[in-house]
Amino acid sequence: MIQRAWRNLAGWGINVAIALTALRVNLMRSILTTLGVMIGVFSVILAVAIGAGAQVSVTESIGALGANMAIVVPQPDSDGPRQTTDRGRLTERDIKAIAKQVPGIIATAPQLRTRVQLVASGRNATTEVIGVTPDYAVVSNVNTDEGRFIEQGDVNASSRVAVIGETVATKLFGTYDPVGETVRINRVPFKIIGLLESKGSSFGNDNDDLVVVPLGTLRQRLLDTPAQGPDDIHIAFVGFDDEPSLIAGQKAIKKLLRERYRVAKGKINPFTVRTTTEIAEVTGQATQIFQALLVAIASISLLVGGIGIMNIMLVSVTERTREIGLRMALGAKRADIRNQFLVEAAVLCVIGGGIGLALAKVAALAFVAYADFPAPIGFGVAVGAILFSAIIGLAFGGWPAIRASRLSPIEALRSE
Amino acid sequence: MIPLLETHALIKDYVIGGEVLHAVNGVSLAIQRGEFVAIMGASGSGKSTFMNMIGCLDTPTSGTLLLDGIDTKGLSSDELAEIRNRKIGFVFQQFNLLPRTSALDNVAVPLIYAGLDRVERARRAKAKLEALGLGDRLANSPAKLSGGQQQRVAIARALVTEPLMLLADEPTGALDTQTSNDIMGIFQALNDQGITIILVTHEPDIAEYAERRILFRDGKVIEDGPVAKRRSAAP
Ligand SMILES: Nc1ncnc2c1ncn2[C@@H]1O[C@H](COP(=O)(O)OP(=O)(O)OP(=O)(O)O)[C@@H](O)[C@H]1O
Ligand SMILES: [Mg+2]
Repeated sequence: MIQRAWRNLAGWGINVAIALTALRVNLMRSILTTLGVMIGVFSVILAVAIGAGAQVSVTESIGALGANMAIVVPQPDSDGPRQTTDRGRLTERDIKAIAKQVPGIIATAPQLRTRVQLVASGRNATTEVIGVTPDYAVVSNVNTDEGRFIEQGDVNASSRVAVIGETVATKLFGTYDPVGETVRINRVPFKIIGLLESKGSSFGNDNDDLVVVPLGTLRQRLLDTPAQGPDDIHIAFVGFDDEPSLIAGQKAIKKLLRERYRVAKGKINPFTVRTTTEIAEVTGQATQIFQALLVAIASISLLVGGIGIMNIMLVSVTERTREIGLRMALGAKRADIRNQFLVEAAVLCVIGGGIGLALAKVAALAFVAYADFPAPIGFGVAVGAILFSAIIGLAFGGWPAIRASRLSPIEALRSE
Repeated sequence: MIPLLETHALIKDYVIGGEVLHAVNGVSLAIQRGEFVAIMGASGSGKSTFMNMIGCLDTPTSGTLLLDGIDTKGLSSDELAEIRNRKIGFVFQQFNLLPRTSALDNVAVPLIYAGLDRVERARRAKAKLEALGLGDRLANSPAKLSGGQQQRVAIARALVTEPLMLLADEPTGALDTQTSNDIMGIFQALNDQGITIILVTHEPDIAEYAERRILFRDGKVIEDGPVAKRRSAAP
């Protein structure tokens, strides 16, 4: 039994030796065959890596948004039955009520947002300005690198102070320290009191291209189209302790706001409440679909590579029929011939797969270096790619290999 | 003593366009160990077809073929492969060496299928090549060998598994007279060492190196007897 197994193993070793020799002897053909699988494996791995990278950056972006957060906007909720054209409303008082009545809340951050023109030290830029209260820093997990964030005193006094993001700082001041300088926002001078810690970018969106000012200051001085009421806001973030209180909180906020706006039963909400969990789910699904699509497309090139292998193996079998006959005359059994061609195909595929894997790794590193986009290649993916290449070799090389082994020695020998 | 080779009413038919061609049409003969047989006959008389059957490369349509006392009928393709590997050495008219492969590796091929390890394969292949005077051409590929040298490599390959008999279908067909005589000298020397040799040739001169001559016509043996004036390559 063991002896038999050993003989089998030794037999395979011999087939590997024969196959390697044959591949070396026909080097050019071997290289060309390998190319197809190489490109196939390369694109599949890169597709998987890019998909995984998209997932990573989605997770990061949602992390940048803040965890366990509800987002309330004064837009009619599209989930409900569409039967109203009411414009939604949302006020600071609503948010205060939420903070008071909904349990599990850490902090609330009512905001106004608008696009503005900035001028400082002779340079200008356009960006988004966000009017906030101090709790914005808590909910959105924002820190200052230098200086300080907006404080309650700034909000109460509607001071003309601004905290700026790194991108804005670079655009206006270069490497020069902006804290203490003055920036004109829509011609109104603001004193820069702090520089925000960088949050990088997500979905190609620069998270550092913004200016933060006190909520009231923005309302009084920077809003071109005034809000409906004196304390209307554009959006509010509500930070919760944990996920369960977030989920319960979303319901409670909806219920509370429906009461406050006296929304009749069956009428659509004039506001929308989303949670970071929902956003993560939706974007997660989207990236999964994206990844599946990528892999599907890449798989086609792998399939084409496999068919290329089959083609070459068929040519190789036909071209070497005489050699097959000779080997049979010299004592090769059917299994020897079959295994020789199988091993040849598998070796070609594994080499192609290995090179494809290496190239994909290089491309992934280039992605990280030049596009700042993560494209991780896991150990499992690498091993899977090599195994998959071997299977492709066996699958597509199998038919020609079996065909070769079925030839009768004399017919094979006589072929031209 | 049982003959090395025995055939009874051996027949090989080919069907071409609905007509049956009896390429070998009832051959019964016996060849003893140590014989040196030359098979002659006009082109198309069935010599190669007969050789392929006794070499277990082709299966008879009917009749019996006993090799070393074993009836080959009903043997599996693997069993036939083993017989070819262990008991028979082939020498072809076109040498049939693997291209771009060294003389040493070419000679070692049958040993691969005999299951020998690399070191032993190289040792035996080298010894055979040296015995045939090619000790200084071990690394040459066929393209870097003369026709006569290539045929000697092929003979070394045929002998490397120490077979009982050597089957050579027109081994000198692609060689000039001088080289042909050299090859026949090698065959005679091998035969003197005890190996059975069956060769097909068109040339009466070449046949004279053998000790027995069998004449084929239309798939049948029409003459079978000792060579009258045997030529010897030895000086
Ligand atoms: N595979 C085949 N299919 C059909 N007919 C065949 C086949 N092989 C041989 N024949 C026919 O069988 C007959 C005997 O052929 P064979 O090759 O044995 O002759 P031969 O004596 O070796 O001739 P030569 O001296 O020319 O080599 C010929 O008529 C040939 O055409
Ligand atoms: Mg012939």
